[in-house]
Amino acid sequence: MTELRIDNPSAAETEDLAEHQRMVRRAKWLKIYHGSLLPLLSGIAGLLLWELAVWGFALPQYLLPAPMQVFETMIDRWPVLMSHLWYTVVASSVGFVIALVLGIVVGAAIATSRSIDRVLYPWLVIAHAIPKVVVAPLLLVWIGFGLKSGIIFVVVFTFFPIVVSTVTGLKSAEPDLLQLVKSMRANRWQTMWKIRIPTALPHVFSGIKIAATGAPVGAVIGEFVASNRGLGYALIQAVGSLDTPYAFASVIIISVFGVTIWYLAELVEKLSIPWHASQR
Amino acid sequence: MLDTASFVDVKSVEKTYFTPSGVVHALGPISFSFDRGQTVGIVGPSGCGKSTMLKVLAGLEDRTRGEITVQSRNVNGPLDDVGVVFQKDLLLDWRTVLENVLLPAELRGRVDEKIRTRARNLLEELGVSGFENNQPWELSGGMRQRVSIARALLLKPSMLFLDEPFSALDALTRDKMNVIVQRLQMHEEVTTFFITHSIAEAVFLSDRVIVMSDRPGRIIDDIEVGIPKPRTLSVREEPEFIDITRRIRIHFEKAGVL
Ligand SMILES: Nc1ncnc2c1ncn2[C@@H]1O[C@H](COP(=O)(O)OP(=O)(O)O)[C@@H](O)[C@H]1O
Ligand SMILES: [Mg+2]
Repeated sequence: MTELRIDNPSAAETEDLAEHQRMVRRAKWLKIYHGSLLPLLSGIAGLLLWELAVWGFALPQYLLPAPMQVFETMIDRWPVLMSHLWYTVVASSVGFVIALVLGIVVGAAIATSRSIDRVLYPWLVIAHAIPKVVVAPLLLVWIGFGLKSGIIFVVVFTFFPIVVSTVTGLKSAEPDLLQLVKSMRANRWQTMWKIRIPTALPHVFSGIKIAATGAPVGAVIGEFVASNRGLGYALIQAVGSLDTPYAFASVIIISVFGVTIWYLAELVEKLSIPWHASQR
Repeated sequence: MLDTASFVDVKSVEKTYFTPSGVVHALGPISFSFDRGQTVGIVGPSGCGKSTMLKVLAGLEDRTRGEITVQSRNVNGPLDDVGVVFQKDLLLDWRTVLENVLLPAELRGRVDEKIRTRARNLLEELGVSGFENNQPWELSGGMRQRVSIARALLLKPSMLFLDEPFSALDALTRDKMNVIVQRLQMHEEVTTFFITHSIAEAVFLSDRVIVMSDRPGRIIDDIEVGIPKPRTLSVREEPEFIDITRRIRIHFEKAGVL
């Protein structure tokens, strides 16, 4: 029984209880202080400094708007911003889901068949070497203006991390483990379902998280080039008319969306592989 | 005639690995045979081909040359009726302890109440009862390895292959494991092929110890251990035990591995 890794609380019991509680309180306080209080104070101070600087140096709004101005703009034009956000959300999510399905299928094919691997490999290397951003103007030529090219651009942007992580994941089962299940007379199918796929999941999720952060970026770049809707378009439009507070408001909403997607991916990961070392 | 044949018969078996980085002659030729119920211990310098021999014997790796028969049947491909334990316990983190033990039954579509009871009994015999529903990572190294032994024994295999199963454990846990394994093995009456780099461990657990040379591994000695079982740990201090360990150590000294 002593082999279980559970801390032995008897050490604390023998200690002076008051002293112990004082230390616990101090540890809790330090955790709050370093964990949330200090960063929060720093953030507020920064915004305050920014606000004061803008008024103090009488900076024109088109150069640098004060935080309050940005906030006001956001409130005033909330409905427009939300409709742009919705467009970006649709492009990002549809593109991401297509990339996910496609990436996992292609990754699984590469990991299980050496011939497919050899056939696809040079194409993937070439495609991966091209900076994705240059594809955006081409999509305008090939597919034209609108949601479809936005979605395709998100796919281009998020496909590779998913393929790569799927291939790595499916190939990462230990040789000895594979021999062990071979000794238990597992067939290919069982080996795939019971060993290779669970082993692959943590890798696949790291790819998914990279893709999830890439999706809004891809959507916004696509909107820079080939759209008259979406937060990327709103940003270009705002900058073009020197409406800097509106540009800032768009950027803030894009960022919040990016962070939300990231946390969603983290949540799904946590629920799917609670057994993995990174989740315990 | 068949009845008098050995349980396992290995004739001039050799194994060469052909890899992109080169050709490695890992094993043999070696020949030996052993009987049902025996525990055969294998010791030899690291890299001499012990694990290779185990995998070839269990049909997990193809041999390059030679003949292997188990119960007078030619070995081609994985044996049907074996349990294997490697140095790493190789427990699956996404399954509970009990689910890990049940894996071999599950792979054959044979999970029922009877086999669950068998799994629980094995865990109890190995001293891991009460942890059935824990996750493997909540257990210590010694307990994890016991779970993997329970998994190997679940379907009552006629042969058990152990490849340095206790090498990652501390000395005390290791002694404890030796006693547990000896008891279990006598109880289960399973023919055991046991690789270790500890001479004392090999002698303690085995009816017979095979000493291997440097790579490519060949048999340089084959020693009967006549000490009656069950043995207690203190048997390791007895003269007849020490005679055998000395005899093995001398082989290694000659070969310059110690
Ligand atoms: N799958 C493999 N491919 C190529 N060479 C291998 C493989 N497995 C083992 N070897 C080589 O065969 C030799 C014997 O290895 P092994 O049987 O693991 O030795 P031991 O278990 O006695 O330490 C070593 O030189 C090792 O590098
Ligand atoms: Mg080995």
